[in-house]
Parts: sequence; C-alpha cells; structure tokens
Amino acid sequence: MRRKGLKRSLFADTISYSYLTVLSVIAAFPLLWILLSSVKGKGELTGNPTSLLPKTFTLDNFRTVMGQLHFGNNMINSVIVAGSTTLIGVTIAALGAYGIVRFFPRFGKILTRILITTYMFPPILLAVPYSILVGRFGLVNSRIGLIITYLSFSVPYAVWLLVGFFKTVPLEIEEAAHVDGANKIQVFIRVVMPIVTPGVIAVAIYTFINAWNEFLYSLILMNSTNKMTVAVVLKSLEGQEVMDWGVMMAASAMVVIPSVIFFMLIQKKIAGGLAEGSIK
Amino acid sequence: MKNRNRYISKVTATCFILPAILVVGLLLLYPVASSVFYSFTSKNLIKASYKFVGLKNYVKVLSDPQFLSSFLNSLKWTALSLIGQVLVGFTAALALNHIRKGRGIYRTILIIPWAFPSIVIALSWKWILNGVYGFIPHLLVKLGLANELPQLLTSKGLVFGTLVFINIWFGAPLIMVNVLSALQTVPKDQYEAANIDGATKLQSFYHITVPHISVVVGLLVVLRTIWVFNNFDTIFLITGGGPANLTQTVPIYAYNVGWGQKQLGVSSAVTVLLMIFLLIICAVYFRILNRMEKEGPQ
Repeated sequence: MRRKGLKRSLFADTISYSYLTVLSVIAAFPLLWILLSSVKGKGELTGNPTSLLPKTFTLDNFRTVMGQLHFGNNMINSVIVAGSTTLIGVTIAALGAYGIVRFFPRFGKILTRILITTYMFPPILLAVPYSILVGRFGLVNSRIGLIITYLSFSVPYAVWLLVGFFKTVPLEIEEAAHVDGANKIQVFIRVVMPIVTPGVIAVAIYTFINAWNEFLYSLILMNSTNKMTVAVVLKSLEGQEVMDWGVMMAASAMVVIPSVIFFMLIQKKIAGGLAEGSIK
Repeated sequence: MKNRNRYISKVTATCFILPAILVVGLLLLYPVASSVFYSFTSKNLIKASYKFVGLKNYVKVLSDPQFLSSFLNSLKWTALSLIGQVLVGFTAALALNHIRKGRGIYRTILIIPWAFPSIVIALSWKWILNGVYGFIPHLLVKLGLANELPQLLTSKGLVFGTLVFINIWFGAPLIMVNVLSALQTVPKDQYEAANIDGATKLQSFYHITVPHISVVVGLLVVLRTIWVFNNFDTIFLITGGGPANLTQTVPIYAYNVGWGQKQLGVSSAVTVLLMIFLLIICAVYFRILNRMEKEGPQ
C-alpha cells in the first residue's frame, strides 16, 4: 500500500517537474533571446539564426542605442512620468483606501465597485476624450498631461489592492493612539502607515511597472521623439526603414529588465491580490 | 463643542477619500460622459467645429461589415486566449502546488511574461518568429517540421493562432499565481480525512479542491475576459490588425476609425458600444461577487 503511494507520487512528480520545466523554457525564452541577441555581432544575427550563444560578445548595439538614438532621454522621460504617477497615484490611493476602510465602510463598498468598474473601462474608450481634453488644455507632448491620464488607471487599481492591506490593521492600535490624543491624520501617518508600508511599497512598484509599460495614451499624447516614453520610441524605431534587430533588442532589454526585476521583488505581495482585493 | 468636533472629524474623514473621488470623477466618469456626448456628433480629430448628428454614427458603425467582423474577431480572440490561459495557468498551478522542492524558482521564472511591457512582447516575438531570420521558423525547418520558413505572423492561416499563443504566454502566469494562492487556502486536513475514507486523488480533487477554488477561478475568468477583450496593445503592435483586417478586433477598429480616418465621433460610438457590452459582463462579475459574500469567507 505504502509502496504504491510512493510510486504514484514519483510518477506525479516526474510529470509535474517535466511540465513545469517545459513551461519555464517557453516563459523565459523571449527574455533570454532579447539578451542574447542584444550582445551578438551584426553578422551573427542574420547568419546563424538558431545558434544560441554569441560567438563574439559586443556592446555595440547598446552604444548605438545610447549614442545615436539618445535613448537615455526617453528613459528619463519614462522614469519621470512613471515615478510621478506612482508618487501621486499611491498617495491618493492610500488616503482613499484608508478612508474607505475606516470611515466609510458602507459607502466604501459602493466606491470600491465603481473603482473596479472603471478599471474595466477599455483604455481605448478613454483615449478619445483624453486626446480632446489634453489638446484643449495645451498639454499635448507634455509629461504633465501624460501623468494625469496615467492616474486614471493607477489610482483605481492601487485603491483596490490597498483596501486589502489596510483591513489588516487592528483597530485597537488606532484607538489607543486616539486616546493618547492623536488626531486622524497623525494616526494615519504615525500608526497606520508604518504597519502597511510593505504593502504600500509593493503597490507602488506595481504602479510604477504599469506606468512604465503603458503604451496607448503615450502613443496618442506624445508625438515628438524627445518627449516620448520608452514604449512609444521603441515603436517608432520599428517604423524606420533600415531595421537593425540587434539594436532593437538592446533597447528592448533596457526597457524590460527594470520591469522584470521590480516584478520579481514584489511577486509574493501582489500574488493573489487580484482576487483577494476584490473579495475583502 | 462636541458637535463641532464631530463635524471637523467628518470633514477630515472626507478629506481622505476626496482625492480618489476627484480622480474617478474627473478622469473617468467625466471623460466617459464626454465620449457618449461626442458619439452623437461629427467630431473630427483635426477640425475644431462639429455638429449634432443624432444616431448617425451608431447606424454607420452597426451597418459597417468591418465592425461586425472585428466584433467576431474580438469574441474569437477572447475565447481562445482565455481557454488557453486558464488551461495552462490552472495546470501549472496544480503542478506547482504538487511539487515540494524548487517551487519558488519555478514560480519566479514562470511569471516573467507578466512583467513584459506590450511593446517588448511585440518586438521580442516579432524577432523570434521573424519570417527571414527568426529563431522559431529556422528551428522548425531544422527539425524537419516545416519544409520552408513558416510565416507565422503574416500568413493568413497562421497569424490568428500565433497571436493567441502569444497572449496565452503573456496571460497564463496571472491565472497560475492566483489559482496557486487559492489552492494553498484549501485546508490540508480535508484531504487527509478523504484519504482515510478511501477517496481517490481524483475524487478529492472534484469534491474538495474544485469547490474551494471555483469562485476565485470564476472571478478571474470574468476579469480576464474583460481585459483580453479590451486589449489593444498586443495586436496593434504585432500585426496592426492585419493581414487584410484578419486580426482587427474592436479596440483596433475604434483606433483606426478615430486616428486613421480622423472620425472621433464615430470612434466614440464604437467605444460606447464596447463599454455597454463590457458593463453587461461587469454585472455578471458583481453577481458572482454577491453570491460569494453571501456564502461567507472561503
């Protein structure tokens, strides 16, 4: 009986490990291929498409990206836009999520649902009014205009995730602080925030990644190359007549690596947050 | 004095949620309302003046065969992507839940696609699948699986399947992670009890695992349906809706009408129709949510 159980588990183990290994190869391959292609020499990419490792290692592609294409400017644009979105968005969302949990639990439920519903709006639905409004306020090609539109998707999602974290704060601690004479804002900053900091950092990183990765609004609102974010400038590179895949992969590597690293840092915190945040 | 304090307290409490309400109001509800407004006008991307045209835009859209075909493409794209994502994500979660060693490392590798920006998804796959220098086409030829380099992104018969594959690659990790965390909430002692009662693995799976995670999976499927349906970037950046509009979905159709043909009014009508369709799906989502809350915490 026992032996049979052991045998079956070995069989299931083999299946599970092989399956996961195959999936891992598929999941990781594009990232790997970007990195390998970005350091291969020019002839190698077209000469031998199936060779994995580079024969000659070169950073020429990265030099072209930084030197000729001034990709650094676009990286800075993206950092400013994504960073400001995160700072403003998460501040608004943290206040809002706490307010919902502590002061307006009943109204909060309705508000949370409105937030979830808005999060489901198709980005293209907002693209039309945004392009009109941003034009009217003279914010075309301005980072400020882009940051404002980015708040539209980052705030609802951050509130949604943060509500779950704020619910874990025990009310007794807050009440004790109130008894000691602290007001609501002091309690929020000195008592509540330190408890939820890990959650807030995770949400902030996630917000940053989403803003960094965003494409559609940036495509519609930014049309001069030096103002573009990385996603849109990559798209415009692709449109150029002589396409150099090595250069494209080098630029892609610079865009995707920060996202992947940040994402791995927070994966445990965000994991399951989707379904849980909506339930809590 | 006491009343005044209570009043001040109410004001402070309101201050917490006010910015979030403003964002929702000014950045979401107002633009949507203005979209609905523009959908009844002849608004153009370049010209400043516009006039009311009543339902003309809607009539135009609904009688456009391209709209119908893009709607069907959207349904096909959503259904196939979702089936694949759930299948792969679910089985991967079961495998991850089963293994003892190396769970962390497998999980970390498997979620990589989730972090990809849409433009890098597009560029990397276009490069890997490139019809002249691509790794996969050359590999398929080398392995003898194809006689000539397959044109995975430009051939009419292959392009849709290729796009769906890429979308499964991108979306399965999210399902996997959520299902895995749901699986880990299933109380272990229930399995032990079932085992003592002589239940097989398959029986335990149906009677213990499935009921425990069905709600989470249900929610995920609805959420994912909406996101995949809304997806603009992936298809736009890889094929732009081509070849011959074969991969044109509703969001891409809306973009082409609004920015290609400069008809923002008509484009608004398309997006409003899209929103109505999605609000119906949202209603289903909340119905599941309500039922879940009635049943209590899982």
